[in-house]
Amino acid sequence: MKRLDVPLQHALGLASAVVLFLMMMTTAVDVGGRYLFNKPLAGGFELTEIMLAALIYCGLPLVSARREHIVIDTFDGFFSRRLRRGLDIVAEVVCAAALAGVGFLIFKRAIRVGEYADTTSVLKLPLAPVVYLMATMIVIAALIHLFLIFVPHKDDDGKSVI
Amino acid sequence: MTEALLGLGAMLVLSWLRIPIAISMGLVGFIGLWWMRGLGPSMASATTVVYETGFEYTLSVVPLFILMGNFVTRAGMSKELFRAAYTFVGHLRGGLAMATVLACAGFGAICGSSIATAATMTKVAYPSMRGHGYSDELAVGTIAAGGTLGILIPPSTIMVIYGIMTETSIGKLFAAGMLPGLVAVILLCLAVRYICWRNPEAGPPAERASWKERLLALRDVWAVAALFAFAMGGIYLGVFTATEGAGAGAFGAFGFALARRALSWRTLFEVLVDSARTTAMLFVILVGALIFSNFVNFTSMPGDLKALITHWQLSPITVMVVICVIYILLGTAMEELSMILLTVPLFYPLVQSLGFDLVWFGIIIVVVVQIGLISPPVGMNMFVVKSMIPGMKTQTIFRGVMPFVAAMIVLLAILVAFPQISLWLPQRLNL
Repeated sequence: MKRLDVPLQHALGLASAVVLFLMMMTTAVDVGGRYLFNKPLAGGFELTEIMLAALIYCGLPLVSARREHIVIDTFDGFFSRRLRRGLDIVAEVVCAAALAGVGFLIFKRAIRVGEYADTTSVLKLPLAPVVYLMATMIVIAALIHLFLIFVPHKDDDGKSVI
Repeated sequence: MTEALLGLGAMLVLSWLRIPIAISMGLVGFIGLWWMRGLGPSMASATTVVYETGFEYTLSVVPLFILMGNFVTRAGMSKELFRAAYTFVGHLRGGLAMATVLACAGFGAICGSSIATAATMTKVAYPSMRGHGYSDELAVGTIAAGGTLGILIPPSTIMVIYGIMTETSIGKLFAAGMLPGLVAVILLCLAVRYICWRNPEAGPPAERASWKERLLALRDVWAVAALFAFAMGGIYLGVFTATEGAGAGAFGAFGFALARRALSWRTLFEVLVDSARTTAMLFVILVGALIFSNFVNFTSMPGDLKALITHWQLSPITVMVVICVIYILLGTAMEELSMILLTVPLFYPLVQSLGFDLVWFGIIIVVVVQIGLISPPVGMNMFVVKSMIPGMKTQTIFRGVMPFVAAMIVLLAILVAFPQISLWLPQRLNL
């Protein structure tokens, strides 16, 4: 499993880094084009939307793998070590189940989007592949939570963003 | 009302049992809506939230501002900012602490995170204050408190999240943060003066700089001013939307980090992946909060709260004060992002129906988060400063932040009493 985990994190990290960089460039070119040359990037809006979806959902398994989902730890002092370990296992199972459920719902949506052959309005890019990507990533995140059942917590897990 | 309270209780219990808050909120919201309206509608509602949040153009402001902040943190402007502020006020009693506050404000103007601001300032300001014989309490208290200016002075992650949750204009929120940010700088400097007046040994004066040195130091920070004027100025003048400002700002910060030779392929990759992960983490929690608030809005809770207020004949300002007190209490023991994601969906319809401006309420929320970040026992900014100074005692930090917590509560009172401080600029700018 470890052998699968590392390349997976590398691949997803690279994917999300590239998408985010392109997103920044798209917005910058769009803005520059509009105000300097009065010529916005055609479909920049739609590209940004698709990249946002790809960015978030490629990032999701990474957040799960590194245990960066925000957990309230105010009451941890009241739990014994063994109880905490037990709670952590329950939490991973709940996360896996919830994400698997969401993944299933998004797969259903992806099939529908594919059947209707939905596209973006300007560039006519098909939307179904993006929705399938979302669903796949959510399911991968669910699997990662199952895997994490067997990995005990470290003390410095998690971080804040404010 | 019963359903919403049960839901809220269930969600709190789940979160306390160490289930990630995003999953707790989403799960309870989903089951709640299932119970009230049936499985089909609940599934449809959850699918729509997940799907549409992912494709929402206006939300791309989130990764772009996070990216901008990470680029400027990497570019290491904090040193120049601190030195520039130092040349102006360093010779005063407590001057280095005031310089720290000013430098934090400057950094906050290009970075939307208070954690990042506190972290980057610790590296620069703490050794300098230590070297000049400042007391540890004053040094760490100032850095932890000054760091919170990162979210009050635009850009601000908290304002972006609040704006998305309440459908308030992010441009207006950014404009509204400016004057309160200045008031906060003044109050924090007054707190420094107070500490040095009580204990003159805490912050001995440093050597005075000449005007030539001052001007030279200012020249080093022009890029910060330019980046702020470019990204925020564009949004204020209505030239950019918030998303465009964020994209342009991130690009500017990228160029800036390149020019300072702060980026290798490796660090560029790290900055990008870090920003991507932070974005994903925020969105998961946002999706959870949206599913939960769909459920709450379907219950009778929002109406019942209003009826309760009418029944007790509470004046709007009393309700506001009660809300602030609840936040200050919650902020001492809760992680602040979860606190606002949990409570804002409950409070903002109420606040709006009482006739308050949601832009103003957004600034109030930012200030209660700031207070939470530096109020013991749980406050991220204190932990960040502690983690960066080997051997620093938690007790020292707790003692050090207290005067600043008091100053921030004064700020909160001033902003509640005079909404015009927050609303003047957005109204002038016609955003």
